[in-house]
Amino acid sequence: MKQTGDIMYKIISESEDKNKIKIIQIDKNDLIEFMEDYKSKGYYLSSITGVDMLDHLEVIYHIHNYDTHEYIEVKVSTQDGKVPSLTKLWRAADWDEREQYDLMGIIFEGHDNLRRIFLPDEWVGHPLRKSYDLKKVQYIRMDSEGNEHVSFNENEGW
Amino acid sequence: MAHYTELNIGPVHPSIHGILKFKVKLHEEIIEDVEITLGFLHRNAEKICELNYYADNMIYFDRMDYLDAMNMELGYLTAVEKLMDMEVPERAQWIRMIVAELNRLAARLVGIGAFGLDMGMLTPFFHCFIEREKIQKIFVEASGGRQEVNYMSIGGVYQDFNDKIINDIKEFLKEFKPYLEDIYNMFMHSEIFWQRNDGIGILEPDVALDYGVTGPLLRGSGIAYDVRKDAPYLFYDKVNFDVPISHKKDNMGRFILKVEEMRQSIRIIEQCLDKIPDGPYFNNKAKKSMMLRLKGDGEAFSRIESDNGEFGVYVRGNGTFKPWRVHVRSPAFKNISVVPVLAKGMMIADLIVIIGSIDTVIGEIDR
Repeated sequence: MKQTGDIMYKIISESEDKNKIKIIQIDKNDLIEFMEDYKSKGYYLSSITGVDMLDHLEVIYHIHNYDTHEYIEVKVSTQDGKVPSLTKLWRAADWDEREQYDLMGIIFEGHDNLRRIFLPDEWVGHPLRKSYDLKKVQYIRMDSEGNEHVSFNENEGW
Repeated sequence: MAHYTELNIGPVHPSIHGILKFKVKLHEEIIEDVEITLGFLHRNAEKICELNYYADNMIYFDRMDYLDAMNMELGYLTAVEKLMDMEVPERAQWIRMIVAELNRLAARLVGIGAFGLDMGMLTPFFHCFIEREKIQKIFVEASGGRQEVNYMSIGGVYQDFNDKIINDIKEFLKEFKPYLEDIYNMFMHSEIFWQRNDGIGILEPDVALDYGVTGPLLRGSGIAYDVRKDAPYLFYDKVNFDVPISHKKDNMGRFILKVEEMRQSIRIIEQCLDKIPDGPYFNNKAKKSMMLRLKGDGEAFSRIESDNGEFGVYVRGNGTFKPWRVHVRSPAFKNISVVPVLAKGMMIADLIVIIGSIDTVIGEIDR
């Protein structure tokens, strides 16, 4: 049974970014336990950033304590582009995760409504990936129901 | 059996400030649920930033919160200068503070003016824009731009403040202080304004924190969080100002709070004008011929207080002339996500007022 005060996660490394914000690197399997622990300490989610490092993806969570004014960066790296979702902990994670899914293609496992937030649902590829081809233009068309469709053919959209 | 109506508001609608779509589920006139569709102004500025040199990205940040361009530039530069270990001369930092606060005033004037317009109050809107025009004239004098100013640059600012600009600002503040009270009274003496806003759009503090809401919306729920006070950047720790909060939690509380913050901004500018020292206005390491040869390495996250709340910029460099990744923590993006909570159980006409009180700028939400 889990006792209060038990630390169920392992910190891989601790460092500082150039703006003196503490960076904590953890394994992605420990993410939920780590965040639960920090949530009980009074932290709230501020932002989620995905970074494409070519051979793997990094997911960066900024969490913030409004009482002690501490700002912490939590870094998780993932090979297959999947990380557990934090929507059960903070509602703020909902849109942030949808944004990172849309633009970076990170799959947040356990998210109820993981749809694209900016681009149409049928869009091909995730633009912030370094492998995304910027020269391929996609055209959007709206049908009479109001649903958006995407095509590579210039005549089938605008 | 209950009968529901679905109503689409937007994407193009005169009373939502920009292009976004609300799909509202109505039971008679009562809102049951709101679904928000974003992305009509999406340009993927984060990707564009990766393709450019560090110094080129200013114009894309100008166009995020296009009403509050100075603060957007400041947010980006605070991160990039940390990344490059670039020091900013003192005079440049004071100048940045003055223009950031002036721009906050300008953005607020549009915000409260358009908020009144949502309720059919035409008069204060014009008065707000007359005053905003004066701020923009000061910006034209300093930078050449009215709204999208492109004034700050890495290591300093584009052009020094001359005596004329400082006199203009002093004169503007002198005229503006009583004028602001007039505008404020125009709102507060309106019976309709009170009826439309008092007790509408209540946001509980724990919900606000859960959704990551910041800025006037969070302070309107009684939590005194202001980046300028809690994690001071520039010289905000060297000037005196208060962080007002409201315990009313509704539209009216937020409006009163916004105007009070404008008074605090005036206070800050007045102190800055007294304290601004002489000296260089940019770092020689970042002079124009060197601008495109600046390299960044490592990662930096900076946050500033923009008009809408905590504006954070994450920049990672890989030792080249171009950033590897730029991410923006947009306050308006978080603030608009709380609309379904605020609007639930309200009348359909209240939705417009609630959106107005959140003061969204779509350029920043969609990026």
